[in-house]
Amino acid sequence: MKTLRRFLSPLLILALVLGSVSVSAAPLPASELVSTQAALSAERADADRERINEVLSRAGVQEQLVAQGVDLAEVEARVAALSDEEARQMAEQLDQLPAGASVVGALVLIFLVLLVTDILGLTNVFPFTR
Amino acid sequence: MQGRFQPACMNARLAGVLLLALWLMILTGCASTPRLAESTERALPRQALVDGVPFHSQREYQCGPASLAMILNHSDVDVAMESLIPQVFIPGREGSVQPEMLATVRRHGRIPFVLENSFDALLTEIAAGQPVVVMQNLSLPTWPMWHYAVAIGYDLDTEEMTLHSGEEAERIESFRRFDATWARSDRWAFVAMPPGEMPQSVGQRRALEAIATFEQVQGAQAALPAWEALVARFPNSGMGYFALGNARHTIGDTLGAIEALRNAVRQREDLGAAWLNLGLLLQAQGEDGEARRALSRAADLPGPWQKRAQDALET
Repeated sequence: MKTLRRFLSPLLILALVLGSVSVSAAPLPASELVSTQAALSAERADADRERINEVLSRAGVQEQLVAQGVDLAEVEARVAALSDEEARQMAEQLDQLPAGASVVGALVLIFLVLLVTDILGLTNVFPFTR
Repeated sequence: MQGRFQPACMNARLAGVLLLALWLMILTGCASTPRLAESTERALPRQALVDGVPFHSQREYQCGPASLAMILNHSDVDVAMESLIPQVFIPGREGSVQPEMLATVRRHGRIPFVLENSFDALLTEIAAGQPVVVMQNLSLPTWPMWHYAVAIGYDLDTEEMTLHSGEEAERIESFRRFDATWARSDRWAFVAMPPGEMPQSVGQRRALEAIATFEQVQGAQAALPAWEALVARFPNSGMGYFALGNARHTIGDTLGAIEALRNAVRQREDLGAAWLNLGLLLQAQGEDGEARRALSRAADLPGPWQKRAQDALET
């Protein structure tokens, strides 16, 4: 880790210096202003920690989606369209998030209970109960 | 001691039946016809039906892509359900999750607004001509059967909803049954709107977050009309003017940006980020006097931008 850091820091410094050189040539680029997204998340708590978590969680979501059978070619664009909050939610609990699909595991007892609740108008599993 | 509990064990079956009956009674008690606030009831027409929402019949697990295709097509986005499937469906879950439903709307250039989770908000949007995607659990919480449908109409007199749902177009559901199944998703619902339009019932904070996320995906040029619409709806939103200023700056409209940022600090004097951006832009324009005043306001306000403002003052 240390050697990696020793190797990376000069590179990072170089990148930043080069970055700011090209930036100062332009009159006033957008990157110098505080962005709307940054200001909004600063109004929520812990903006910095959120930002770090967000980077980690986006990578995590990509990995999870691929593991769930999502096409590799699609996964990046899908994750990019999530808000920070949504990416975090997906990273932390993709398994628990309800997935709209409309299929239910059918055991006889469950079938009977659901039939009764359908008739009572509490559920809507069987089309013929209406 | 043991003996005293034995009868209870022997009657376990009876107890179970009684318990089931009791439980069903409790459930029935909970699920009643939803009530509207009186002001909503007076404001809404008795019946409403959104015309011209195309229906896409779902194939086995595809209620997510089907619902998206319906609302996107209605909003003049020409996209086929088949091309939405790889964008939103998760094979391993055999379904689609809520965050990705919203993300897919963004990818197609529309802004998803999640509605306030109330029956009032839902009917208000339908009356305003918006088809609404709702998430229902058609079964019981223990054996969930999650489902997306598109609510397109209601009738307050017969107490019935009209939905494009599953394989059935314009399916009629009683308010009571609909609300029982919808309440299990905490009444989750959203609409998809082109930048520049906003739902009737949306609050300021929700609108800000929805548009800011859209901007992150589609860029400032696409989001600009949405910010204009936001400050028109909420003229006292300092954060709205701040966002408008940033978007104008990004597309190169410096004067427009300065005007919006001036409005931002007029509405919210404590918005350090707006003072800072205003100061930086004025500085670049050579308006040193006003730039210094703005930057020193930013430098006085505690917060994450204070240090940058102080640095900018020293240059």
